[in-house]
Amino acid sequence: MRVAEAEVKQLAESAIAQDARAGARLITLIESGASDLYPALSTLYAAGGHARIVGVTGPPGAGKSTLVDQLIAYYRAANLRVAVLAVDPSSPKSGGAVLGDRFRMSQHYSDAGVFIRSMANRGALGGLARSTPDALVVLDAMGWDIVLLETVGVGQSEIDIMRHAGAVLVLQTSHSGDALQSVKAGLLEIADIFVVNRASEPDAQRTVRALREMVHVDAERRGEAAWPVSVCETEALTGEGIAALAASIERRFTYLTDNPKARAQLRHMQVRVHMEAIAAGIVAARLTDRGGAGAPGSDVVADVAARRRDLYATARALVGGDD
Amino acid sequence: MGKARIIRCVLGMLGTDVHTKGIRTLAQLLRDEGVEVVYLGEHNTVPGMASAVIQEDADIVGLSFSTAAYLHYVRAFRDELISRGAGDVPVMVGGMIHPDDRAPLAEMGIEGIFGPGSTVPEIMAFMSRAADAYRNAGAVNS
Repeated sequence: MRVAEAEVKQLAESAIAQDARAGARLITLIESGASDLYPALSTLYAAGGHARIVGVTGPPGAGKSTLVDQLIAYYRAANLRVAVLAVDPSSPKSGGAVLGDRFRMSQHYSDAGVFIRSMANRGALGGLARSTPDALVVLDAMGWDIVLLETVGVGQSEIDIMRHAGAVLVLQTSHSGDALQSVKAGLLEIADIFVVNRASEPDAQRTVRALREMVHVDAERRGEAAWPVSVCETEALTGEGIAALAASIERRFTYLTDNPKARAQLRHMQVRVHMEAIAAGIVAARLTDRGGAGAPGSDVVADVAARRRDLYATARALVGGDD
Repeated sequence: MGKARIIRCVLGMLGTDVHTKGIRTLAQLLRDEGVEVVYLGEHNTVPGMASAVIQEDADIVGLSFSTAAYLHYVRAFRDELISRGAGDVPVMVGGMIHPDDRAPLAEMGIEGIFGPGSTVPEIMAFMSRAADAYRNAGAVNS
């Protein structure tokens, strides 16, 4: 999709002036893979850098959206402006999706201090969508104080959230398994804060104990300067435990402010990942342009497939732009 | 020109209507047609649903009714969209719509009316046409 540059520029300026419709439209353009968005994204990026991005991840049905709903209420009571980016899976068969996270947040629909956007993951496997990082740039530029980023329901290894959030909340429930599950590699290693939701259910304390033990062992090894991962207990339906959770989130951001080294380490990793994603997007677009049916005589994909060209040399030329 | 655009559709019910079976079924059927459905369920308010349409940048809105108050709600919803600069977003209605009410709905600009017996191809044909017309008139893309 090609977009008139002046119109996109106008959308970016309106979004920075907190126009919800302009911000929403920009996110759609990002999702659709519109070309020529880079000047506008640069403008938006320059206007941002202030939002606190809180990631919320965990298995399907753990209560992520309901927890987000409660966090919105908490932050609104503190007079902060809150945006939500909620990702749900796309159908691997049709490409369609039923985006149902927003449904849990209906008490905030009419609040002008809340912006909720649903996003389908469109086949991406890490718990987010390919367009999520740039959509976050839009939300950041719109001046939302808090951005709650909710992943699809995840399993053990979808860890993209750590690449975009300043605080990662990993939800678990009473059904999250025994102490052995809690020492496995993957998702559980990326939590800044564990949230055991539905904490009053019979087996929930077993999960809490297993996580506390794991966190304790980990803390001893990581030393005093490291962020102390905590385990919070919540009842997202009633709001129990939300204030304590919000206090933990606050401590996490204070920690990042007070520890420039840890903050730099996190930010550098995140910028690196985002830059790689942008570069990969540009390369993919180049390949589509050059490999498409509309470019006769320059179908490099077909040439490589037929072994008329070398795979590696062609790929390198694609990046250098001088094939 | 890129790939075919994915249609984003907001589906929900306004007011006290609680008959969600139809709209949940439709959400699933549209998903299988490649539509991204933002599902709002029941008990929505007019301003709340209008906010959702704007924030989700919907190409089309579907309202389902099984109570008799739909003329009132559709009018209020259209007025709300217009007052917030989103009056051009196409709206379709479904559910228990009386034949006598088609004319007044049409006057409000509602062209898609899908009662019992409507087929998925009919609904999809309407949605594609309406979403295309909306996007092309909106003209941020060409």
